[in-house]
Amino acid sequence: MEFPLLFWGVLAWMIFWAVAGAILIKRRYLAQDLDTSNASFIGAMSGAALGPVGLAAVWARTPKSSGYLTTALGLLTVLIVAVTFSFADPDNICVTSGGFVASQFVNGLIIGIIYGFMALGLSLIFSILGVVSFAHGEFYMIGGMVVYFVTAVFLPGINPLMGVLAACATAFAIGAIFERLMLTPMYHGKIDRPIEYGILATFGLAFTLQYFVQALVGANPVKAQRFIEFPRWRFPAEADPIWIKTSRGSMTLFEQVTISSPRFTAALTCILVLLALLYLLHRTWTGKALRAVSQDREAAAIAGIKPDTMNMLAFALGGMIAALAGALLVQAFSWLPQVGAIPAMRSFVIVVLGGLGSLPGAFLGGIMVGMVEAAGTGCVPDPQKAASYIPAYGMIVLTLTLLLRPTGMFGRRFASGAHGQF
Amino acid sequence: MTKQIPNIAGVIVLLFLAAFPLVYGAADYDYIMHIMITAFFYAILAASWSMLSGYAGQFSFGHMGFMAIGAYTTGLLCHYIYLSPEPTGLCTETPFFGQWLVVVNPIGVTSTTLTQDCLRQAMDAWGGRVEVTRMPVPLGILMGTIMGAIAGFLVGMLVLRLRAAYLALFTLGFSEILKATISAEIDITRGQAGLELPPLYPDGVTLFGTYFEPTDKLPPYYTMLALLLACLGILAWLAHSRFGLFVRALREDQDAAAALGVNTTRYKVLVFTITCAMAAAAGAVQGHYVQIITPNLLFLLQMSLVVAMAVIGGIENFVAAAIGAIILQVLLELLRNSFVIGGIEVDMTIWRLVFFGLLLMITLRFFRNGLIAPLIAYFGRVGVAEETVAKRASTLTGPGGGPHRTEAPD
Repeated sequence: MEFPLLFWGVLAWMIFWAVAGAILIKRRYLAQDLDTSNASFIGAMSGAALGPVGLAAVWARTPKSSGYLTTALGLLTVLIVAVTFSFADPDNICVTSGGFVASQFVNGLIIGIIYGFMALGLSLIFSILGVVSFAHGEFYMIGGMVVYFVTAVFLPGINPLMGVLAACATAFAIGAIFERLMLTPMYHGKIDRPIEYGILATFGLAFTLQYFVQALVGANPVKAQRFIEFPRWRFPAEADPIWIKTSRGSMTLFEQVTISSPRFTAALTCILVLLALLYLLHRTWTGKALRAVSQDREAAAIAGIKPDTMNMLAFALGGMIAALAGALLVQAFSWLPQVGAIPAMRSFVIVVLGGLGSLPGAFLGGIMVGMVEAAGTGCVPDPQKAASYIPAYGMIVLTLTLLLRPTGMFGRRFASGAHGQF
Repeated sequence: MTKQIPNIAGVIVLLFLAAFPLVYGAADYDYIMHIMITAFFYAILAASWSMLSGYAGQFSFGHMGFMAIGAYTTGLLCHYIYLSPEPTGLCTETPFFGQWLVVVNPIGVTSTTLTQDCLRQAMDAWGGRVEVTRMPVPLGILMGTIMGAIAGFLVGMLVLRLRAAYLALFTLGFSEILKATISAEIDITRGQAGLELPPLYPDGVTLFGTYFEPTDKLPPYYTMLALLLACLGILAWLAHSRFGLFVRALREDQDAAAALGVNTTRYKVLVFTITCAMAAAAGAVQGHYVQIITPNLLFLLQMSLVVAMAVIGGIENFVAAAIGAIILQVLLELLRNSFVIGGIEVDMTIWRLVFFGLLLMITLRFFRNGLIAPLIAYFGRVGVAEETVAKRASTLTGPGGGPHRTEAPD
């Protein structure tokens, strides 16, 4: 970095005013007897984006918190950080090369879609059961393992689609059985402190599954074949630059952005399954019943919905979604029994950022985290350090979200049940 | 008499643990002693975690983070701070009571040897003329404990508003941030290569006329046992005082407790500070004992081990949690031997953890107070039930005749 003082100075300035804003504006809203649930977030963002001027304006006007205001302030903050960075480090590849930025952008988008899809499963489980599943990463790992064993060990040469379906079925079955055996008693008043019990039970499942797979498979990394090989194709044939050029393993857009086949198929499948899931949730009786249970268990039960069945379905579906993400990514990464930890952490970050229990929030949060990760790996000088810090970026987002706005972007407060309060 | 069984058993176990290193003399002495020391280490963590989660209901997944704060504080202080009678002229240094406090510059793991830092260069120039002293180990452990308490205090202040799943995720995030930072700042912490610490007793120790080498297992055994007993003593004192009553009220219903006049903020922060300080102390001592610390201390699986031990022992009873930790740690080591059934070799190094996970789930589902705590409670309550029944019978046949109370509560 050429002018580190500029960057860190601006950052320190923003952090100072953000902290001041978070505390002062909260006090102000409290004193004015206004809704304080978003006050610290608005305070922090206005302080970070506009400094003392913004804080003074918010202090004087005490605006009602609207989505537009918070989004605008948040975007402004991100923009200021980005502009400062480009001034502080003018020779960085992220500032000089547009092609690199586009490539990072597309890759971040793709990985973000997959992360978001996986987080969707976690969010679905939380919105209906009120349990944060700590076994989500293990479902992801099992999905990949099943695909590898079906397509490479038991039945070599079989259509990979069969492997993916087998992975989904396995995860669905494990999820359903676990829910029925371990989590159902939570909802019949047999457990003292259901929230803690839910966390511990999924934690136990994660522990058992991980070591069970390790005992069966061993600790050597495995990797599945590419599912789909692109045909060689150029479009348009004579143009310069060529818009789309494909080779067996990858696709190049405008001779700048390269997308590998595994990531492309994974992202495409995720979008298709997401659409199917939205159809299920909003257009079928089962989906409506699921959403009804997430809104109010007792009222849903009175209306003739079996909450226990919906619980089981939700947990199994959530696990299946994670397994599907794993099944699609096993062609891109090498697979170990411990591979689930990183995506599980990402999923926690995403669901908290998007709002625990919110499905659109999970997807949007996933794309944002994917982008941040792409920017973090591509742009930060000293790549080795940047790579080590990547898990921390997400966790900083998580802790800040929990402190400033525990409902996340689209979260709602849950009326009752085991969801817990904050 | 039966009521005293847990106490008698406790005394017997204590005597056994105290006498064990003196009477045991088999060839695998060092190995067994190492297992026991590690078991005590986990027992401190499990007991303090059960105080935090079981008593106070603050479900933290960052306990290993505080442990690592303790270990890394003492590790970094011992690694970077020296006392020298003469100024080196190379390092950052300040006068300190007639001597010089030297802060060694971080060189990380990139250098070919470990002796390239400014102090080593200065010592080469002096040619053995000047003796520098390292930071004393007990002071390092004390600093680690204080740092753990400060970190616990800060986290406690931050999480006042968060409950249940939100708290679990926040503390998990804290632990992950710490892990990423330690792994990334290779210059200072040496990252995955691990930070080397001086042994617990760098010059050896003489006990009752017997000299023990720094690598001998007996002194750290008693040190860790003493730390465990001290922690259990503090926890017992806290649990039986108003503090214990208040934090349990906090667990059951925070709002109701606040409405009845419990200063919830204060007790929540206090319980975080105390238990995190204990975890940090355990981490610091263990760090000096094994003499190397890596960021892998912070793996979620390490945390899950502590959680599982506390749950299987009994999450709402810290003594049971500590006993559970010791038993499970010993058991896990004994189960390491692989065996062969019907021509298939069963690799017990992994399978034992599978069984451990299953045991955790079964305990959670069917024995929600753990496996050890009900035993203690059973013997502790033997007389109580009869007494209550007798009292009820007497009130039924007594002058009042009804199921209402006749005598005033004392």
